[in-house]
Amino acid sequence: MAAELPQGEVRPAAYDARANIPTGLTREKAIRQIPAMNPGEYFVPPEIGDIPTSKYGDMVKLGRNIFIDTQHYAKRYVGNGLNCSNCHLQEGRKPYAAPIWAAYPMYPEFRNKTRDVVTYEERVQDCFRFSMNGIAPTLDSPEIKALTAYAHWLSKGAPINKELPGRGFARLSKPRDPTPVNGEKLYKENCASCHAADGKGQKFANRDGYMFPPLWGGDSYNHGAGMSSVKDCAQFTKANMPLGKGWTLTDMEAWDVCTYIWLQNRPWDPRFGWFFNIFTPPTGGN
Amino acid sequence: MEDKSMLISRHAWLFMKYQNRNFAKQFTYIFVLLGLSVGILPISGCGKHADSDTRAAVAAGKLLAEKGHGTIPACIACHGNNGEGLDAAGYPRLAGLNATYIEKQLNDLARELPPAGVVIESVAKDYSKTPRIYSDLTVFSPGLRHDDVMSPIAKQLSKTDIHNIAAYYSSLPFQAKPVAADYEVLERGQDLALRGKPEYGLPACISCHAPNGEGFGTDFPPLAGQPAAYIVNQINKWQRGDRDNDNLGLMHAVADQLTDADKLNVAAYYANRSLIVNGK
Repeated sequence: MAAELPQGEVRPAAYDARANIPTGLTREKAIRQIPAMNPGEYFVPPEIGDIPTSKYGDMVKLGRNIFIDTQHYAKRYVGNGLNCSNCHLQEGRKPYAAPIWAAYPMYPEFRNKTRDVVTYEERVQDCFRFSMNGIAPTLDSPEIKALTAYAHWLSKGAPINKELPGRGFARLSKPRDPTPVNGEKLYKENCASCHAADGKGQKFANRDGYMFPPLWGGDSYNHGAGMSSVKDCAQFTKANMPLGKGWTLTDMEAWDVCTYIWLQNRPWDPRFGWFFNIFTPPTGGN
Repeated sequence: MEDKSMLISRHAWLFMKYQNRNFAKQFTYIFVLLGLSVGILPISGCGKHADSDTRAAVAAGKLLAEKGHGTIPACIACHGNNGEGLDAAGYPRLAGLNATYIEKQLNDLARELPPAGVVIESVAKDYSKTPRIYSDLTVFSPGLRHDDVMSPIAKQLSKTDIHNIAAYYSSLPFQAKPVAADYEVLERGQDLALRGKPEYGLPACISCHAPNGEGFGTDFPPLAGQPAAYIVNQINKWQRGDRDNDNLGLMHAVADQLTDADKLNVAAYYANRSLIVNGK
């Protein structure tokens, strides 16, 4: 029988040590709690060198090419400046950045967005339509076939229809309503040096395409994309941004900065506004 | 029937979502579209023509780099006649680097390190109370970089000297000479460079240093064409705390996750890349 402590007394176990750690001149050391990444904690997809030399292997390679350079390999269907790997980081391998190896074995699945059961191929079509602000390839197109082959290969050894750790994005708490005022400040400090102060990303000087992807404007994802919801954006940001320093923003900071991003101008949802897309295109981009 | 009602309500929801947007800014586009039958071509200068100030800075920088000045030794003694660096000693190449980057590095090398043993206490924060803007409390390092050889030299340079040297070296052409390496080492280095370590949260090198390691902008220096020893040394410095001058502490977070083998592999991979800068 442990003696009951009076309410309000701070026990060592409940004590938050973050409050008096020397910062070492950086904010995150004072406030972050990064989940330890232990070997074996997350599913590890096969290595590139293990792609078989066969027709299947060729399809996997084409799928990978489309995935990391969508601008070139799926040019016909893309309507903005993004690549798949801008959100599915590190060739679709990174846990908590919507890794492909965790998504593929879950399909076919029910999707609230369309209120229907969709196959993996149909899900990829939606990526082209919303996230890439483009046109959906037909289900029998080589692009869809190759992307599915790549996903299939990445998922080698993953259990079918089982939630894997690292699937999707981070799960967040929401202590208060987010404020774009705070978000703007955070954006300028933490994001603008890569994604530019106007959110339009940064282009290469001597070749086509973006070094750092645009977060809003005509060259970014449209309002129908998942990333356009503040929740998805915040969950992604918490786990992955700034690049290489995932989990260093507080949950509330992630909500705030994504609220600021959500307020910006981007292409209309194609299900909603073809008229507006034609006659009032989003500002910026290109 | 059911579907239809869902559609209507979704559109109503979207309408509510969009109704507070700034239409005025967008409807100007109608007039633009109606009034213009030809696209306006952006007028851009064809190539950078160096103005006289830059030319003077490059000339002054060249003089300092080749002759030195007083107790300042000539740069070419260590960094090579054309700024290509010195592989054996791990002296970095300077040719074709971003001018702002070179300037910042020299300023940071000249900066005094804070005395050892000084600990800056954080402000005690109670996160359970009213929301506050934590970013106000963010403190970034002023940009520290210490090197036994280069720091004493950088301390002797004036602001003008630094500006001139940066202008000179950024204007130099460069062509990398790929260094041969073991196949397995290159393969592992490439894996790290292109994919990083996803399961550990370590990003790929290319995601900041550009697809071929040619560097990008003022914050991300090139990796290709740098001596392998130099790259390894710099990562070691980050791990030891001798270097702390990166944007947002990005490289600090990356360096903390690199093993000794990772450093060697990735440095060998980038020393093995070919690269042409400034059209040499």
